[in-house]
Amino acid sequence: MNHSARWSNVLLSPDRTESYLDYARGWEKRIGSFLELSPPVPASPPRGDLAGIPFAVKDNIAVEGFNLTCGSKMLAGLKSPYTATAVRRLQEAGALVVGKTNLDEFGMGSSTDTSALARTSNPWDTSLVAGGSSGGSAAAVAAGIVPFALGSDTGGSIRQPAAFCGIYGLKPTYGAVSRYGLVAYASSLEGIGVVAESVGFARRVFEVIRGIDPLDHSSVEYLPSGQTPPRPRLGVVRGLAGLSGEIERAYRRAADLARGLGMEVSEVDLKTFDYVVPAYYTIATAEASANLARFNGIRYGLRPEGTENPEQLVKGARNRGFGDEVKLRILLGTYVLRSGFQDRYYVRAQKIRTAIRNDLQALFGAVDLLLLPVFPTAAFKHGEAGLTPFQQKLADRFTVTANLAGIPALSFPMGSEAGAPLGLQLLAPAFEEERLFRAAESFAEAVPLEHPPGYSEEWRS
Amino acid sequence: MYQAFVGLEIHVQLLTKSKVFCGCRAAFGDEPNTNVCPVCMGYPGVLPTLNRQAIVQAYLVARALDCELSESAVFERKNYFYPDLPKNYQISQLGSPVGRNGRVDLDLGGSRRRVPIREVHLEEDAGKMIHAGDVSLLDYNRAGTPLLEIVTEPVLERGEEAELFLQYFRRMVRYLGVCDGNMEEGSLRCDANVSVNRPGKGLGSKVEIKNMNSSRFVKKALAFEIARQSGLLDRGAPVAQETRLWNENRDLTEAMRSKEEADDYRYFPEPDLPPFKPDAAFLLDVEKGLVELPSARRERLVAEYGLGPDQVDFIIDEKSRADFFERTVALGADPLAAASWLGSDVKRLLNREGVELAESPLTPERLAGLLVLLASGRIHGKIAKQVLEVLFAEGKDPETIIRERAWEQLIDAGAIAKLVDEAIDANEKAAAQIRAGDEKPVGFLVGEIMKATSGRAEPQLVRSVLKERLAKSR
Repeated sequence: MNHSARWSNVLLSPDRTESYLDYARGWEKRIGSFLELSPPVPASPPRGDLAGIPFAVKDNIAVEGFNLTCGSKMLAGLKSPYTATAVRRLQEAGALVVGKTNLDEFGMGSSTDTSALARTSNPWDTSLVAGGSSGGSAAAVAAGIVPFALGSDTGGSIRQPAAFCGIYGLKPTYGAVSRYGLVAYASSLEGIGVVAESVGFARRVFEVIRGIDPLDHSSVEYLPSGQTPPRPRLGVVRGLAGLSGEIERAYRRAADLARGLGMEVSEVDLKTFDYVVPAYYTIATAEASANLARFNGIRYGLRPEGTENPEQLVKGARNRGFGDEVKLRILLGTYVLRSGFQDRYYVRAQKIRTAIRNDLQALFGAVDLLLLPVFPTAAFKHGEAGLTPFQQKLADRFTVTANLAGIPALSFPMGSEAGAPLGLQLLAPAFEEERLFRAAESFAEAVPLEHPPGYSEEWRS
Repeated sequence: MYQAFVGLEIHVQLLTKSKVFCGCRAAFGDEPNTNVCPVCMGYPGVLPTLNRQAIVQAYLVARALDCELSESAVFERKNYFYPDLPKNYQISQLGSPVGRNGRVDLDLGGSRRRVPIREVHLEEDAGKMIHAGDVSLLDYNRAGTPLLEIVTEPVLERGEEAELFLQYFRRMVRYLGVCDGNMEEGSLRCDANVSVNRPGKGLGSKVEIKNMNSSRFVKKALAFEIARQSGLLDRGAPVAQETRLWNENRDLTEAMRSKEEADDYRYFPEPDLPPFKPDAAFLLDVEKGLVELPSARRERLVAEYGLGPDQVDFIIDEKSRADFFERTVALGADPLAAASWLGSDVKRLLNREGVELAESPLTPERLAGLLVLLASGRIHGKIAKQVLEVLFAEGKDPETIIRERAWEQLIDAGAIAKLVDEAIDANEKAAAQIRAGDEKPVGFLVGEIMKATSGRAEPQLVRSVLKERLAKSR
């Protein structure tokens, strides 16, 4: 990897760390991608495949010695007593954690604006959101502060901010990467993945973090078919509605480009497409209602003063610790799991989920890869000028399919329009990440990576 | 007359080294919050990992209760908020527990009652909260320790039957080595559901009873509750569907909460644990743990050794005791003698010393040695009891004890004859009486000889030599 040589030296001496921090802080004033930035001073030169390479970690992934806030007042100031398996594997390969990045509170959002702790903006244009929920990780990579960062993807939370910031974002096969150390939002849908400045980095990081973990019983042995078709059959979806002009153009351009790159392009139908968002939000919020129950202010986290009894303490902590979006999703999840209502909501959503899996399995008999938009629009504006929370949820329709089906997806840059980057995604059958990397590398040859204004590599040389 | 339907819900704390979903020590008598880690404290981002020993023990109990063993045991989240529950959900089982449809054939003193077992499921225990003055304190050492829940169908009809079932069950889990069965300390807990109705009318309103921490309390609480509900029905009053607590000080049950306040636990499958699918190696481990259970052993000991009903009940009550007994017999002791000694003198000494058989100086080798000495006439009964006392006090073998103390019975005819002659010489009058045909003083003379030998002389031999001597000289 041609760029690693330059990245592997950036923290090797106090002088270099100083220049590193100068560059990072310059960006941070504008984009606020980090909640905690504290590059280590290696006692001895790191060793391993990723020796000395700095990386950032979304603040819902545990790193001992760093905070683990999840962007929530509930956990502000919580130090993690342990390290996530994926992070530990990267550290064992010599990579260095420089800090923790901002996110939508507990990963619930598509803009990073639901973070209760900091505001993150898009490096391309600070009036735009960086996307979410892994917005901090994507912004930090796009700004060139780190070559890659860990994020988590429950319904698009890696791919969408990667697309909004013009970089690569991999959501791996469910179970391929240990979830140990990822603060759970929707356990059966999410996983740790990577945002990266290049396909090469995404691949190398994925190779390090994947594999079965005894601490995560849902992790699996990584067993790819080993077959990557030289002329992959690419499915493009017929009749996608509701796309913005620039995304529709990018989608068509990519399909045309694919033909030019020697792929066999065919139009396909996604029969279950209309059901993915309701099914996703039913399952995700149901799991969230249980996953977030542990935050009660007793053992750690926000604890209100002067409460009379444990019940008051718990109610006070949850009332003050959680933001509106989090409360909304907990309420929704509690509702769909009520006895007498499970059949109507949770059980039905699981049936839809099975139908989606079957739909995709059938589809992957006819094509090797599926091309989809990541989001109906490019990065939107902060606040009221942007999308409402409801519009944002509807817009998840392109990303949640991969989570419901447990299959890998990679978002990749497709140029920019009007100062905002555009991104699309490729989906593959489970364990076929290598197909995604190969195809994205082909696209990269035709569409050179663009950087936001202010991006620089000079400080690294 | 009414018919009562009683079902039991039994919670068993499994004797595993570590907790069910993390590596912490499963010991909760320790300093509060010392056996805890991010997993059992419910820190963000951690995941449960299933303890193999716990799931083996769970299947073992299900197997011992003749359950259908699940080929895919599913863990589910049971959601409720309580400060002692770190995650505010308990990992438990609902739709597909470890075992289902088992049975116990209960011996009701002559008649038999088949008690169907509805299910056996594995779950995690919660911590403990105590209120001290104006603060509430939490100890999470117990949080995440493995708990097995066993639910019977409501087929028991009286408190005595429930007590018998519990005794049977307690003995069984102790035989299997999966629980110490201590109800006072809560390692075995029992809740009951009771409904009373007119015969043939099916189940009545279900009342749950909690807080019965001994099998005797279960009997008393159920007797009270059945009588209470019958009284209500007599008066034509409705029986409220509720949860009641046994008050052991007042000998009655008291309402705790009504069904309307009952929680909705919003169960759903635990996404962090795939269904557990036992493979052949696992099932082999389960079979290996399946020891001969108390009822089967009872039948065998009666058939093999001819033990009486009370004797056999005492012997099989503890697996270690039954093992001790059979080992003693294998070493040459008479079975009835061994059972009788274990049930009387040994039991008395154990109680006096306050020790368990296994921790006492008595071993099967020593008991067998003692009983063989007794059976061969080398010592007699009274000396044997003394030997046992010394054995407990000094921890020595019976042979050593009788040698050191010269307690071996005098059975040498020459030596006895000498003693007899001395006694005759010293008691001329008595000897003359006997010679004259009056047998009365024989006992006196035997007693004198026994006294002179501190009881070591073999009484029968003394008696016969004495008679012989006095007859001869007539």
